[in-house]
Amino acid sequence: MLNFENTPSRPRSPTHPKHKSTPSGGSHSPTTAAASYNAFMSQTDDDWGLDLNDASVPKETTVTGGLGSIASMAGVTSIEGRPLGAKGSKGAGGGYEYPLAKKRTRGLKAQFEGLVRDPGNSLHMIYHPPINTDVHSSAEIEAMNARISRINKFKTVLQSSTVDLTKLRSLAWGGIPDELRPMAWQLLLGYLPANSDRRVATLERKRKEYLDSAKQAFSRGDAGMDQTIWHQISIDIPRTNPHIPLYGHKTTQRCLEKILYVWAIRHPASGYVQGINDLVTPFWQVFLSAYIEGDVETFDPGSLPPEVLDVVSADCFWCLTKLLDGIQDNYIHSQPGIQRQVSQLRDLVRRIDSGLAKHLNDVQVQFIQFSFRWMNCMLMREFSVKNVIRMWDTYMSEGNSGFSEFHLYVCAAFLVKWSAELKKMDFQEVMMFLQSLPTKEWGEKDIGLLLSEAFMWQSLYRNSSAHLRDDGTTVHNEELNL
Amino acid sequence: MAEGPKPSSSVKLVLLGEAAVGKSSLVLRFVNDDFQENREPTIGAAFLTQKCSLPNRTIKFEIWDTAGQERFASLAPMYYRNAQSALVVYDLTKASSLAKAKHWVAELQRQASPGIVIALVGNKLDLTNQSTGLEGSMGGLSLSNAAGDGDDDEEEEGDARQITTAEAKSYADEEGLLFFETSAKTGHNVQEVFTAIANAIPESTLKTRGGPGSGRAGGGATDTFGGSGGVNLSAVGETNKDGCAC
Repeated sequence: MLNFENTPSRPRSPTHPKHKSTPSGGSHSPTTAAASYNAFMSQTDDDWGLDLNDASVPKETTVTGGLGSIASMAGVTSIEGRPLGAKGSKGAGGGYEYPLAKKRTRGLKAQFEGLVRDPGNSLHMIYHPPINTDVHSSAEIEAMNARISRINKFKTVLQSSTVDLTKLRSLAWGGIPDELRPMAWQLLLGYLPANSDRRVATLERKRKEYLDSAKQAFSRGDAGMDQTIWHQISIDIPRTNPHIPLYGHKTTQRCLEKILYVWAIRHPASGYVQGINDLVTPFWQVFLSAYIEGDVETFDPGSLPPEVLDVVSADCFWCLTKLLDGIQDNYIHSQPGIQRQVSQLRDLVRRIDSGLAKHLNDVQVQFIQFSFRWMNCMLMREFSVKNVIRMWDTYMSEGNSGFSEFHLYVCAAFLVKWSAELKKMDFQEVMMFLQSLPTKEWGEKDIGLLLSEAFMWQSLYRNSSAHLRDDGTTVHNEELNL
Repeated sequence: MAEGPKPSSSVKLVLLGEAAVGKSSLVLRFVNDDFQENREPTIGAAFLTQKCSLPNRTIKFEIWDTAGQERFASLAPMYYRNAQSALVVYDLTKASSLAKAKHWVAELQRQASPGIVIALVGNKLDLTNQSTGLEGSMGGLSLSNAAGDGDDDEEEEGDARQITTAEAKSYADEEGLLFFETSAKTGHNVQEVFTAIANAIPESTLKTRGGPGSGRAGGGATDTFGGSGGVNLSAVGETNKDGCAC
């Protein structure tokens, strides 16, 4: 947990807000109404502009908060005294066991100090189970060798003193090995500097900035907080991925609500919008997984050292910020980004599968009725978090437009996948079907196929992207002088 | 159709109310007779159906369960347009949620179809002291305080109630709304809400039809959501065989 000196306990979720910040007659808060999209742009730019100024601040000023303790991480030995759980450190998920792992906090990797300092250290911690021709079938051996070869390709790119992001993107598009994903995501999002010399200092600074922001935001307890935002976040956190044990643990909930609250108050044009709580969870899971052994989805982070939780929280915060920077107009007043994407999806499906588009029109299903959620939650309600994580490997490899543009093609590929079924359904059946699509059994292969299909549609239609106008009107190829 | 020869009509119903007051939970109780703690927040809106059997006819509710957060409010008109009924929900343990409910009622009266049947519903009765002992003791309206005259706030120990029955009831009477206090968790009064709405829909506004797909019902030609045309009456979400308690 983040330790804030002045807030020994979590601020209460307000049961009666002291001030009514939402006038009962209005449909939006004054803050959001006043702030234009451009203002919002500059707002979010500020986050990174501040950085440059911060760069002149000597590291030695890092004395308070969690980050101070990272500098003296070597001193963190007291946790060894904690009682071990009855079970071993290996989780139910069959994760890899590291040969040198000493048992400290249950599930915590022995080398966590090095990882906290520099995610690049993960490159030296990849465990390859020994291949044994007596035990393993030839298919298994082939898979193991393929995995080793793939990991080595990533290592070659990631180990370089300045990571070639173009190479990383083309490799990562097809999926990133679990062990390398935390580092790769942070590089792809532009959070971790490509230049390895800058990494340690940058991470220290960014993490301190987050922790200071969080400390300040919570320093005066209830009184200093935006009650509307805090209330909404605190009622949504227990409702986030409720089916995954990791999210039922108090430590996860306290960390996530802080990340969301700090993000929300730093981005007043959108504030916190439901769905953003979903978007933080892949980061939480992926970054946490770097520090632990076993299946992260069943892990209780309550026993982790505060330093690790601070670092994971800060990394989640910044990567969430980077992601949302690219789709900010999805969450500002009237959600123009989503409105645009929904009409783009409709236009795209008309071209890809006119029969399906006609049928949906005939039974009077409107795209917004089912695809609003696809856009607002990035299909996270349609897929398992594991599958979403795999999708994000590709989204992040698509550069800045992954979550705003490539996602559209994924949605189109996803919808037309069910074309045959949908065409036999009436309004009610279509709505019921699209609200709970049969993706429970989907695995990496299905996701890989979906992404390939999306890529194909993008290749075919991106160059005529003028047909995807903001107002949703369709311009035909002929008019584009193709 | 399992319901026999009774005439059947579709009724479009929209749920509105502040976030986390229990809109989706009320629908889940009504449609599946189920309850889940910590359901994921609704994004946009969810569509469900459930039949309600009255003595002389069957009503099929086509329910749009909307998201409660303010940011999604601009979507609401799309869902209440052409709705014949609305369930405006507040959390009777959260004072501000009644103000939000009043806002929705005013908007519906201003913008929705004239003649829309509106029910005001105070949910989470299980969190108050009234949650026990009242089960089954009330038929239709949940008027434990009757007219509520002279009843002060009864702040008993462990009672999370912040909105008295009298206060909400008198508002509902003023505005001509049906009024109920419910618990989606225990199921208390949930069927009753939908039955009362079904009964309150004027028969003249219902288009009767003989069977599945035999005609349009509900909003008519201007129904932008359509949905009623050729709808198969065997509801996908229908598992509650009891229908409405009537």
